[in-house]
Amino acid sequence: MLLHLLNRSPQSTAVYRDLGEAFGVNDQLLLIEDACYAALPAASGVLAAFGGRISVLEEDLVSRGLAGRVSPAITVVDMKGFLALTETHERCVSWF
Amino acid sequence: MAKTTARTLMVEGQPIALDPEGYLVSLDDWSERVAEALAAEDGRELTSEHWEVIEVLRDFYQRFEAAPAMRPLVKAVKQSLGAEKGSSIYLMKLFPESPAKVGARLAGLPKPTNCL
Amino acid sequence: MTSVHVSDIEPQDVLIVLRHPPHGSHWLREGIDVALVAAAFGQRVGLLFQGDGVYALLEGQQSGALGQKGTHPQLAMLEMYDIDSLWVSAAALSERGLSVDELMLPVKPLSAEAVAELIQAQPHTLIF
Repeated sequence: MLLHLLNRSPQSTAVYRDLGEAFGVNDQLLLIEDACYAALPAASGVLAAFGGRISVLEEDLVSRGLAGRVSPAITVVDMKGFLALTETHERCVSWF
Repeated sequence: MAKTTARTLMVEGQPIALDPEGYLVSLDDWSERVAEALAAEDGRELTSEHWEVIEVLRDFYQRFEAAPAMRPLVKAVKQSLGAEKGSSIYLMKLFPESPAKVGARLAGLPKPTNCL
Repeated sequence: MTSVHVSDIEPQDVLIVLRHPPHGSHWLREGIDVALVAAAFGQRVGLLFQGDGVYALLEGQQSGALGQKGTHPQLAMLEMYDIDSLWVSAAALSERGLSVDELMLPVKPLSAEAVAELIQAQPHTLIF
């Protein structure tokens, strides 16, 4: 059970693809920094490989004016939620 | 990346540029005379045992464009000179302190980057 | 192309994933450097070539136009550092019209499922 952290915008399709290949059945994806843009409903195509196991970091959404625009299938987490995710997963793997 | 010259070593009337750590600035400057002069700076005289390892080092650089760290140096020496010489103890006796670093300097290679 | 099953995979101390092609950026070189340093310190290192990282394995690479060093001598050197657990994404290869027999190193192709399991099975994974 891994927590994958991703910080690239959905324009960088290659990293979404490679991460999708490496994504295990019990893994979780956390979108941070520019990857927040992938949480918009219009970008949902790049997230097809990740099932419903996607979260997005609230503070990075807020700074980009994206709060309230997030696709309903994605869980918004604050820093506490981020920490909780790191505690409930074996390891983190960072993709960029 | 251009290396900076910290000092020069005179070998047969020619100035040989050395970087701040005593490695050759230009790898083309190497010759057996230069290796002897570098060894003499460390108070060392080169024997046939040294020369054969220096040859292994230069061959390694030719093949891989990098100076080996200790582990691959041991492996390369083992492949070329046999298991008895391909050991860290043997190489430590020949080039005390750090065989990978001292050997690279004498062989005219850059300082090994992946080294302890 | 037959893919390796994940049960054949020996666990490493660290897995390094190479996703970038040669020459265009520093990512590939840095990833290989980390692998070499880890191996020089006695760690068991595995490499996974994924995405455009598979281009690092092409035969016939050379230095850059301005004489910049390529990464192919570094890859040829892996063997001297006893790095011989080499895997490649089978999908990444086939998407690029490549097959394992035209690559410079003996890499084992992995299905997408096996790629995921490989990463699960390693104590540390670094992506480059």
